[in-house]
Amino acid sequence: MEPGYSSKQARATAQLRKGVLEYCVLALMRDRPRYGVELLAALEDSGALATSQGTVYPLLSRLRRDDLVTTTWQESAVGPPRRYYALTDGGRAALEEFTLLWPGFRDAVDAFLNVPRPSPGDPA
Amino acid sequence: MKTSDLVQDYLRAVEREASALPAERRQELLADLAEHIEVTRAERPDTAVVVVLAELGDPRTIAATALAESAHGNAWVPARSHGDDAPSARPGRVHPLVPLLMLTLAVPFGMVFPDQPGPVFGFLFRVVGAVLLCTSVHWRAVQKTTGVLLTAVLPTVLIATWNLSSGVLQEDNAPALLPNLVITALIAAACTWLWRIRRA
Repeated sequence: MEPGYSSKQARATAQLRKGVLEYCVLALMRDRPRYGVELLAALEDSGALATSQGTVYPLLSRLRRDDLVTTTWQESAVGPPRRYYALTDGGRAALEEFTLLWPGFRDAVDAFLNVPRPSPGDPA
Repeated sequence: MKTSDLVQDYLRAVEREASALPAERRQELLADLAEHIEVTRAERPDTAVVVVLAELGDPRTIAATALAESAHGNAWVPARSHGDDAPSARPGRVHPLVPLLMLTLAVPFGMVFPDQPGPVFGFLFRVVGAVLLCTSVHWRAVQKTTGVLLTAVLPTVLIATWNLSSGVLQEDNAPALLPNLVITALIAAACTWLWRIRRA
């Protein structure tokens, strides 16, 4: 295998993740507020979106500054109180906008990637 | 090494790497990470703290992400082009001075041109200024509401009240000069505030 192949792949994945991560985080809050560790666990389970967990906190911080999410503290039966993140109206709107945008984007990329290669036996 | 020392070392490393971050942002990041560690340890008591820290990731990577996010949301640092929200690409984007000047000049305009259609234009300035302020990308919703209240609604109410209470006696403009100046000063102050808190 070409050396550095896996690191190239990791970089490509990171580039792809960068654009969509915040919307996936917003989507996780669509039905109910979630706390940080919970959000990270869901991202971890997804596989492709798993990232160095600590880097999600700066993202959450920006979403809060941009008024896309609000936070509230809630007591928990186990351990310290959790900071719960919930969508604001703006966050919900941003998520809906992205939800509408995404299928077209995905289909366009798929269309490029799935160009059928002419096989030798293909009748032209 | 004790568990608490490991955590302290880790947080100190993040703090060091994030030294370029504004102090408030840095403290917030450290608090978020500390909370994460505490919650994770409460939920998975059998997981060693080194594993929890390893999952959180390299302090340098976290600090770099925080700096990038900070630049993204900060008006004063040139942001990376981030998808479709590169500010200059937005349609209908008006320079933030336009609504502020229209709002500020509405009253003086009516004073300089007291005969019709001067006041009508002054009023139009205020309405258009308020609309531009509301549709601008430079302020957040709560700032826009406060701005419109202070620069358009309140002055209109004050002027209307003044005109109603003194309307019958209005044979010359001299008595209206002082209130007009006061209202203009109020609007100018509110616009100065809006100008200072605007975002790029």
